[in-house]
Amino acid sequence: MKRFLALTLSLALALPLAACGGSGNDSTPAGGNATDVPAEASTELNIYMWQQYISDALIADFESQNNCKINLSYMSDNADAITKLTAGGGQEYDLIMTCDAYMDSLVAGGYVQKLNLDNIPNSSNINEAYWTAKDYCVPYLMNYIYVVYNTETCPIEITCYNDLIDPALKGQISTIDGARNLFPIALVALGYDPNSTNEQEIAAAYEWLTKYNDNVVAYGAAEQNLTNGTACVALTYDGNASWAMSELGDKNTLKVADFESDPVQLGFDLYVIPTGAKHVDLAEKFLNYITDPQVMAKNLEEFPYSCPNDDAVAAASESYRNDPARDFSYKENVFFQKDVGDALTIYNDYYQKLKVGE
Amino acid sequence: MAKLSKVQRHKRTAAILGEVYAILIYAVLYIPIVVMMVFSFNDQRYNYYWNGFTTQWYGKLFHNSALIGSLWYSLIIAVLATVISVVIGTLGALGLKKYEFHGKKLVNNMLYVPIIVPEIVLAVALLIIFMNLGLSLGMGSILIGHCTFCIPYAVVTIKGRISGDGDTLEEASMDLGANRIQTFFRVTLPSIMPGVMSAAFLSFTLSVDDVVMSNMLAGAKNSTLPVLILSMNKSGITPDVNALTTIMILVIVAGMLLSNGVKALVKRRSAV
Repeated sequence: MKRFLALTLSLALALPLAACGGSGNDSTPAGGNATDVPAEASTELNIYMWQQYISDALIADFESQNNCKINLSYMSDNADAITKLTAGGGQEYDLIMTCDAYMDSLVAGGYVQKLNLDNIPNSSNINEAYWTAKDYCVPYLMNYIYVVYNTETCPIEITCYNDLIDPALKGQISTIDGARNLFPIALVALGYDPNSTNEQEIAAAYEWLTKYNDNVVAYGAAEQNLTNGTACVALTYDGNASWAMSELGDKNTLKVADFESDPVQLGFDLYVIPTGAKHVDLAEKFLNYITDPQVMAKNLEEFPYSCPNDDAVAAASESYRNDPARDFSYKENVFFQKDVGDALTIYNDYYQKLKVGE
Repeated sequence: MAKLSKVQRHKRTAAILGEVYAILIYAVLYIPIVVMMVFSFNDQRYNYYWNGFTTQWYGKLFHNSALIGSLWYSLIIAVLATVISVVIGTLGALGLKKYEFHGKKLVNNMLYVPIIVPEIVLAVALLIIFMNLGLSLGMGSILIGHCTFCIPYAVVTIKGRISGDGDTLEEASMDLGANRIQTFFRVTLPSIMPGVMSAAFLSFTLSVDDVVMSNMLAGAKNSTLPVLILSMNKSGITPDVNALTTIMILVIVAGMLLSNGVKALVKRRSAV
């Protein structure tokens, strides 16, 4: 009797596993458009993005205009968004925020849907130069990664990346972290392509970064360290530099480093629609809404980051357009983060070595 | 006071050193928490340096529906996960202790797998399974995820507690006429209650603290408290989070003082 019971129970447990194999195939990613548009309009929109990156008023206005509910979830890291996308994010989310460096692999893997740009007429306001993978994403905001320093307390004038390894700056640099943020500046300083896949070049960049590491006093919280005097130089995003400068107010002695020839990294936060998303119509309406110049201009008041939407920048407030953090002359001299494919493991290995301090 | 002999002096030095050591240990544990509580009164939005005293964050906290909502969400999941884990854990521990069956060794060893495997691996694996099964993410998926690592901890804790006990109490109870169910609820369970309570507290703590699993398996509509705080990390954690955790700590401390007070009262009453 007991054995019979045990046998039946084990069979009962094994059944769901067998069923798993059958039903699993309906969410295979397919790169095409959602062909079965729901008959009635959607009333719900699920968005996955960074926190403190979109104005509550914007969300509320969209909700009341379209009689719907927006559910915002927040990510803590780019890796979160990638995991959600590759594990089948379309089931849960209609819009996911990712960055341009991953677009090639995401499109190739079929994890994102093609957008119907006819439904997003306002997207014509976006500067074409800032729009990679045009059919699969809509850029939201962008950020420059550059050097900011305190003109009063910094011992040297900084005009290129190689100045950052000057021994005079020992323990004076506060920097953002991340392999794909640090290695490109080393590669540019050594004269290589910032998206290099050559192992010798990456190794040389690692050597450069160990000298850079000697000058670093803190990874992360770069702008706070500038304002409280812990560091006099920071490698950070322009949005954070803008915060630091406005925080110091009248006592602001921070200046964007005047690079003569080195390009700076320009990264984009883009919205993509994951394959299999359930509320594509509302997602496209939302994308059209945020690319409206007036809407985005108001959003920029609360979150003064750089924006690829030229019309919105033109419509933005005085203080936004005259932000000292964006007052530098080499805005055209930028490079983008490109997908490095398998070389990513080489970058990660050297990055680990850098962190461990070998 | 008479001069102390050498031995007495050494004993006193040892005692003082021991106390200093204990104080240092407690300091290492608690000073960060005290700093966090003090900074809940900081008059600066991004809480990077001290800028003046204010209690505004406690007021703002009650208007921050996202934070309060995620706290409730975390607590509900924790309570449910604790109940499920403790029930299954108790049954599992008792079964593993009493009975011999085919594959007992395997089950015993497999118990440790969810504990040893890095949680991120477990979380991503569960995410892929749920996505392939077409299950929508939400409280159910997070609950299953939490139970996955809470149940082994519960089983291991309770098993450790009951490993030395013999069967005599239960046999005596059944001898006296109680059937198995009555024996379980009236004899076995009360005797293993300390183990069950520690397993319950452990499961609750693990579930409330959990970030990795909750991050991966969260649905679009709600998130647990640690996940919400983690996502605030990029833009800066405002002091209302400090205020919330200060209140949580005070509630726990008050609860412990209360329970100790009640125990002491009961003891005194019964001694009279």
